[in-house]
Amino acid sequence: MAEKRRSGTTSGMSEVKPTKSDGDREFLTQTGVGELIRGALLKMVEAKSEDPIGFLADHFCNLASVSDAGTAGCGDGDQLNDCAGAQEQQQHLNRALWHLRLAHHSQRCAFSNNVQVAYDLLSHTGPRRFQSGISEGSEGSCNSGRTGGGVRGSLYTQTLQCLCSEGGVPASTSAPLLRRLHCQDHEAVPYDLFRHGVLTCAVFSDYIRQAQKLYAEVCCPAEKPASRALCLAVLGTLQEALETSRGCDASHCANANTKVNSCLETNLKASRYLEASAKISPYKLAQAMAGARTGGPGGNMDAKEFENAAAELFITRVRVVS
Amino acid sequence: MTAKINRFNLTLPVDEYLETGVLFYLNDAVTQLLEHKEEYTQFGVVRYFAEYFSSVKNSNHVLFREYNYIKATPHNRASFIRVFWRCYRQIGKSGDLLSMLEYTSLLQLLCPDFPVDLVQNTARIILMDDAIDCLMSFSDFVYAFQLQFYYQEFLVSVQAIYQDLLSGKSPNTVIVPTSTSIEQLPPVTTEENESQEQEGRVDPSTLAEYIDCLCDRFKYSHPPRSCLREVLEQSDKVSYYSFLMSLAKHDTINSGIGALPNKSELLVDPEMDQELDKLISQISVSPGSNSSGSAVGALKEVPRKASPRRNIHHRRKMEVESDGSTEETDSSEN
Repeated sequence: MAEKRRSGTTSGMSEVKPTKSDGDREFLTQTGVGELIRGALLKMVEAKSEDPIGFLADHFCNLASVSDAGTAGCGDGDQLNDCAGAQEQQQHLNRALWHLRLAHHSQRCAFSNNVQVAYDLLSHTGPRRFQSGISEGSEGSCNSGRTGGGVRGSLYTQTLQCLCSEGGVPASTSAPLLRRLHCQDHEAVPYDLFRHGVLTCAVFSDYIRQAQKLYAEVCCPAEKPASRALCLAVLGTLQEALETSRGCDASHCANANTKVNSCLETNLKASRYLEASAKISPYKLAQAMAGARTGGPGGNMDAKEFENAAAELFITRVRVVS
Repeated sequence: MTAKINRFNLTLPVDEYLETGVLFYLNDAVTQLLEHKEEYTQFGVVRYFAEYFSSVKNSNHVLFREYNYIKATPHNRASFIRVFWRCYRQIGKSGDLLSMLEYTSLLQLLCPDFPVDLVQNTARIILMDDAIDCLMSFSDFVYAFQLQFYYQEFLVSVQAIYQDLLSGKSPNTVIVPTSTSIEQLPPVTTEENESQEQEGRVDPSTLAEYIDCLCDRFKYSHPPRSCLREVLEQSDKVSYYSFLMSLAKHDTINSGIGALPNKSELLVDPEMDQELDKLISQISVSPGSNSSGSAVGALKEVPRKASPRRNIHHRRKMEVESDGSTEETDSSEN
């Protein structure tokens, strides 16, 4: 793609100044523009962001700040290293978060790739002298990724916190989730756990946003809080749906080692998910809400309580990281 | 960008995704880089691309570029309209009425090869094709200009349809098989139409149907059909320029383009007001003192500065400062 566009440029130029196009081509090769654009295009096509120009602007700005930081920090003493180390860590965190934002978690392939990149970024953060001591080893692990030193617990927790708050989840709501997922500050987090944590937080953010929208729908007359009975009915259907899909997970775990049944499992899984989504269908929800109108506890439930209750339904299903 | 991308068309094929205009900008970025190698590689190519795309994102990329570039994408056109407004809204505040040639000069300060005929067409919209040497207010001009520039291809087609209707021919926009074929459309020439045509007006509903057919297959941007219909439903007969003027003033069309605020906020510019107040207060301090002398001196030095960007900034201030050039005129604001 870069070649196609590049040749388009140079052929355009060659109509006017034939001798200049060779010089241009050489210039582009020398400065590495082709590679740069190829990389940018690949990333952009993978992400298929709603705003391709904004995406490219962010992408190049990121790259530029990295190369600036790289040239700035070399050859410092130990004391300066710690300061630079902290800044560098923050930069790595920002970049990792940027990568994680690129693709929605439903785009499994792209999302997994981005998690991998973010993991690699974060697992090579640390004071420069420590890194330089094991530089050969870390270069080797760069390629394999998963056998690297792992992400430090504190950085991992920070990443999850940022993901939740960027996803629009207030800190109080995400706190119980993070308690289940977090690791000790000094621990090294392996890739699988990192991925699990990131995915859980991404899904959780979506879930909370949906719950907020759901609440907004339920309490249609805008200012008043919604009736408790209605909210409980809605939460009830949510819970039922989650239970149904959970049943599928349990059976899946039990058969984890049986390869023969894997096809059967996939079908079972699919049907469970369909069942679960049927439970949360508009019709079911309307039924539950109509039922709630006739009876049930009185009083109101405000947005915060609803959100916390919905969050709890989700969080109880998250396995605790030990 | 021409195509709308959202999370739900993630399965959009790569070619279509790229056709949303991004390749155009990549192409231009590389071309510009090749034309200004020394200047743009000063801080490295990565930084160059970062700045190029940031400026595209922030709509700052069209300033001083050639006409072919600024008209190349809808985003560029909207950005240029916005830049024009931001640079010159103080003219609106001062209440100056300018001629078509003066507006042309202002436009050419921002885009050296901006064509005069586009400005002429804008003047025709405002002045209803009548005495286009008359002076125009900034507010009238900017909205008419927006319509003319952003939807120029659409307006050309509409004018062709209009002319055909006026001369009794069937406009040949209806070529592709749509639900409204030529046979089904109302006959163009009726008694009523004939008298209207003598006045230079056509039946709005006929025009609406032909424009609808045009929109079906039109590959360039056009105003939302609902707005077009709404405008045409408002009167029994419509002349081309009155139709265009109504479109220019239409709030929904304006917010759809997204370049200009509503008319009530068009002249609001608090930062500039502050800056000017500061300048004026400096100057109104006694002329013998150093501070005002330096302020006046700074203003006087302005035209000699080399960079074209500076010229715009200071010319703007100077235009507001000068008070002698406003001409009395009896042309009413349309």
